[in-house]
Amino acid sequence: MADVERVSYRVGETVILDDVTVSFAPNRFNVILGPNGAGKSTLLKVATGLLEPTAGAVRYGDRPIRAYTAPALARKRAVLSQRVELAFPLSVEDVVLMGRYPHYGRTPSRRDREIVSRALELVGMTPKRRQQYPTLSGGEQQKVQLARVLAQIWNYDEPREPKYLFLDEPTTSLDVHYQLHLLDVARGLLDYQCTVIAILHDITMALQYGDVFFLMENGRVAHEAHNAAEIPVELVERVFQVRASRVTDPADGQGLWRFSL
Amino acid sequence: MLRRLSYGQSYILLGVLLAAALVASAGIGAFTFSPERMFRYIGEGFGWIPSVAADELGRNVFLKLRLPRVLVAGLTGAVLGVSGTLMQGLFRNPIVEPGLVGTSAGAAFGAAIIFVFGESTALSFATPLGSLAVPVAAFVVSFAATMIVYRLSTSFGKVNVFTLLLAGIAINAVCAAGTGFLSYVARDPQARNITFWNLGTFTTADWRGVELIGLFFLICFVWSLRYGKSLNALMLGESEAASLGVNPERLILQLIIVNTIMVAVATAMVGVIAFVGLVIPHVMRMLKSADYNFLLPASALFGAITMEVIDIAARVIIPPAELPIGIITAVIGAPVFLWILLRQTRNGGVGFYG
Repeated sequence: MADVERVSYRVGETVILDDVTVSFAPNRFNVILGPNGAGKSTLLKVATGLLEPTAGAVRYGDRPIRAYTAPALARKRAVLSQRVELAFPLSVEDVVLMGRYPHYGRTPSRRDREIVSRALELVGMTPKRRQQYPTLSGGEQQKVQLARVLAQIWNYDEPREPKYLFLDEPTTSLDVHYQLHLLDVARGLLDYQCTVIAILHDITMALQYGDVFFLMENGRVAHEAHNAAEIPVELVERVFQVRASRVTDPADGQGLWRFSL
Repeated sequence: MLRRLSYGQSYILLGVLLAAALVASAGIGAFTFSPERMFRYIGEGFGWIPSVAADELGRNVFLKLRLPRVLVAGLTGAVLGVSGTLMQGLFRNPIVEPGLVGTSAGAAFGAAIIFVFGESTALSFATPLGSLAVPVAAFVVSFAATMIVYRLSTSFGKVNVFTLLLAGIAINAVCAAGTGFLSYVARDPQARNITFWNLGTFTTADWRGVELIGLFFLICFVWSLRYGKSLNALMLGESEAASLGVNPERLILQLIIVNTIMVAVATAMVGVIAFVGLVIPHVMRMLKSADYNFLLPASALFGAITMEVIDIAARVIIPPAELPIGIITAVIGAPVFLWILLRQTRNGGVGFYG
């Protein structure tokens, strides 16, 4: 499991994270919710080890992440963020191979190559593996980036060890097909001892896909819920400054959220 | 042409071309030497075969002037090719080269300081450094200039092309003003040297230059080969590279140091040669791949080839006089630079190859 313990982050006088303690549920889809400026991205950066907190610590399992070397940390967790553009023409395979960089020295092993092709297969990009990355559409580029992070924390083969996938608004600017595809692949990882921790732009979709929810407000976690149905409507209304209502989809009985100003 | 070859085969092809360029460059000029004569001179120079006394002039010209010049040109080309590759990787932009980001101008300024004041009392502390004083001063100023341009053009892990160009212009102007001032206050022979050396020249090349540039190139080149993967990862942006286990802060500092050492030494020896560092990696990318694991060795080889060809041109265009190298590289390189810049801005900053 991944634990954030009493983490604060300050820039000068401004408090961005205020003594946050969060325990992300292992092998679940953890969603961090909150309005702009609530500290979601900062919390994610601290949790991935990319940002050193002013106070507090982050632990993966029993081990504080400070104890990991940079490559060891890169083998433990991967981060997928918004669309990445490349200024230079690399093939799709070369981009996915970057996910294996923390695993090899000068030259990739046969297993590294095999993982790259299986990751491409998983996201359905095998037919385009030799194409130049900059010539792909935005949605396809994000599929390639997804394959890259899958290759980085590859956990489909035994023996497995706990891995962590962090998503930082990865579906922004993708159309609905690619959004659903990406989140489906991420959910698929949960069966392979992988914990997913996500900030999602689309709150409706976040509530549909998530297992555990952390609602952030002003640098603190205001509420934690293990079911979308448990999230108090009034709290969502207050935090996001909207009017919200929860209805039930007659087809499958799932809760649906509607928002208005 | 290179697309169908493996990386290894590409290096072999470039290596063969380089050997041909070296032989051609060593043979052509005011004195022409046949390959057979060249190898005989080299054999004699090493004492492998007894020397023929009658041919002493030819041998001296070849061994003391031509050969070191050809080697200095090749090494300088390799330095600029590798440096351009490192800088384009660091700035994540195909328009960058040591001439643009202040590395060359800074090195020239630093070298000129020692050049002019080196023997005066004010800088007598530099004398113990002896022949290394010029490269060392070149390195210090060059490093500062490059670092300033990098810091100014980067915000939140992204490089802004326009700030980069403007910062480059400003830093280059400051360094050029410094060098200009020095040539103004310098006594005549020094002043003429500075002007000539601002345009780049191989006429003063000697074996000491071969040793110095060769040594530092070798160290820096082998060192830079370690950064192939990191430079590739950096293409994704600083935070993506960081999540792949690269420490961007440290990488950037190391890249600027390794790059500046090579460029400072080469510039201190032969002067400022612009645009070569820009064009070399660019051509290799178009012909083969943007993978830095390939680009670093390929740019070294192709840079050396290109510099031999340019040096031949410098010797044969207006005989018996010689054109400064920087004039030829600017005439060829500036239009290429503008072409790349135009394509880049038209693509909305996505990049030349997008």
